Amino acid sequence: MKRIFILVCLISLWSCKTEEPSSKIDLSNWENIKEQGKDQEISMMMWMGDPKINAYMSDYILPKIKSEYGIDVNIVNGQGNVIVQSLMSELQADVDESEIDLVWINGETFYQLRQIDALHGPWTSVLPNSEYINLENDFIGKDFQQDINGFELPWGNVQMTVIYDSRKVDSPPKTKDELLAFVVKNPGKFTFDNHFTGLTFLKSLLISFAENPNELYGDFNEKNYRKYSEKLWDYIDKIKPYLWQKGEVFPENVAQMHQLFASGEIWFTMSNNDSEVDNKITEGLFPESARAYVPEFGTIQNSHYLGIPKLSKYKSSAMLFANLMISAEAQAKKMSPEIWGDGTVLSLDKLPEDQLQYFENITSRKHAPERENLQKFALMELSPEYMIRLSEDFRNKIINQ
Amino acid sequence: MVILPVSTGLIYATSYSLGLTGLMSQGFTTAYWGEALSSQDVWSSFLYSFWVGIVSVFIAACIALGLALGWQRSIQQGKLSYFIFLPLCYPATVMAFLVHQWFSPSGFFSRLFYNLGIIDNLEAFPIVIRDYYGIGIILCSIFLITPFFTILFSNIYKNERINELENLSKTLGSSVNQILRRVTLPILFNRSKTTLLLFVIFVMGSYEAPLILGRQNPQMITVAIVNKIQKFNLNDIPVGYAMSIIYVLIVIISLNFSGILKTFQNRKISNI
Repeated sequence: MKRIFILVCLISLWSCKTEEPSSKIDLSNWENIKEQGKDQEISMMMWMGDPKINAYMSDYILPKIKSEYGIDVNIVNGQGNVIVQSLMSELQADVDESEIDLVWINGETFYQLRQIDALHGPWTSVLPNSEYINLENDFIGKDFQQDINGFELPWGNVQMTVIYDSRKVDSPPKTKDELLAFVVKNPGKFTFDNHFTGLTFLKSLLISFAENPNELYGDFNEKNYRKYSEKLWDYIDKIKPYLWQKGEVFPENVAQMHQLFASGEIWFTMSNNDSEVDNKITEGLFPESARAYVPEFGTIQNSHYLGIPKLSKYKSSAMLFANLMISAEAQAKKMSPEIWGDGTVLSLDKLPEDQLQYFENITSRKHAPERENLQKFALMELSPEYMIRLSEDFRNKIINQ
Repeated sequence: MVILPVSTGLIYATSYSLGLTGLMSQGFTTAYWGEALSSQDVWSSFLYSFWVGIVSVFIAACIALGLALGWQRSIQQGKLSYFIFLPLCYPATVMAFLVHQWFSPSGFFSRLFYNLGIIDNLEAFPIVIRDYYGIGIILCSIFLITPFFTILFSNIYKNERINELENLSKTLGSSVNQILRRVTLPILFNRSKTTLLLFVIFVMGSYEAPLILGRQNPQMITVAIVNKIQKFNLNDIPVGYAMSIIYVLIVIISLNFSGILKTFQNRKISNI
């Protein structure tokens, strides 16, 4: 028995040992990257919860990268905490190379990955298509108030919308007072989830309580957080008894909320993708009468990004792949409501004439509000510490009461 | 072969919870243990998990007992056995979704009662999903474990020749009630108590059903631990590991007190 134990230990130790990367590649020269990156097989970890996004990747992006550079991309399902846990485990195990070469991330994941130093960078400025990215726009150039500093590449831009059933709601509440009056009159029909989307809604409300949003923008400010979160929790306390299931329980995530909306149990749901209402109607999940809007107190607009793990062995292939995903053609296709409806991160003013054409014939949205109408109600993402505090306080002050 | 990965996992979790390992580690500290031990949330999660485990096993055992004693002949074969043992084919996640679809306010039974005119609106259907008492989780657990218990009781009944003992008692003048209380139930309970306790621990440690059918407060311990380890604050990970070690210690102490570990040791010694 003792021998078997020692043998298993030795095998475990031996299996942890991996070979050193065969070569060091110069990642500052695009021609080198093109040469080294082609004909490889890489893995990308991304959220795969939306059939339209999956179809965009498998039917358009993957064949294109295969035909242009001979790169095979294996897409693996995982978002936020799964990405952080995977890369964290690899760093803790001290492995030489990561299983993942590209990740789809934003704000809080970027913050966590930077905390554990799991991202490669800076790398984005080497990509030829990066010169067209609208980095001057703070909704794109900053991620949760953090400078991206070339450690992640903007891929898309979205704004949170509130989705409602127009057969049941004639005029959706536009202000906080109207929302309070609405839920009192129609108890059990409104709620928000206990995860990312719900917290984004809470962040929007928090900013709306500030006399000036700039008081909450920038680094985390304890004094201002306390000042305005007190008002926020007072407000949530007022609406809580009239929320779905009397506010004693909240949907665990946005998918659960979508299901409750689809079954008619609640009249509102939310989405961080401003065109999702069209997508979900097309899929048949939401009724034809579903509509999306942004309340006058505003909602968070943010961008999502691509990152390369520090331990990725195929960084050059990942960079070729990322460059393709921010090409004008790929961005315009992604922007079409029938494909995905995701906002572009490119500045159309910077694009050359021959690439502008891709954006000219994008079909308009059906039930989702047009992007230009949302911009005036757009609020910036707050620093990640606000999300951590809101999450903790929401549990202690609302859920546990 | 089982002890090695389990013990290395426990050592890793313990060192993580003490700040000795992990990318965010800043050296030895008992702060995370202090936070876990002093958290009211953590203890209410343990109590809630114990409640769900004990109630699920008690109800499932009662139903299984009824099935095993009532349908001794037809339970092992025939169409009835298909019906009784069908839930064995269901993974916990699928069963949890089924329970959700059946018993949620917009689910099958709510709509059926509404169409039959028993309730005025769908919201009038009693809340059993994400409810305070964990009825949804308990229902799901009952559906999952009742077939196991039915097989268990049925086999004990056969192997211990309880039928012959019952007949003997009858000839000695015992009533049906006396036979049940003095002969059948004590033998079945004595032979199955270890398994019943292990199933309480099994239900306490289930994850999928509480995640789909449970609520945020009170929360089953497994969901609470995963939330600590996987949510937005990386500094909460050691607290999550401390909670999982506390859970393991509670299970070991319970098993020790109930004498199960001793039984296993004795069996091991007798095998040697």
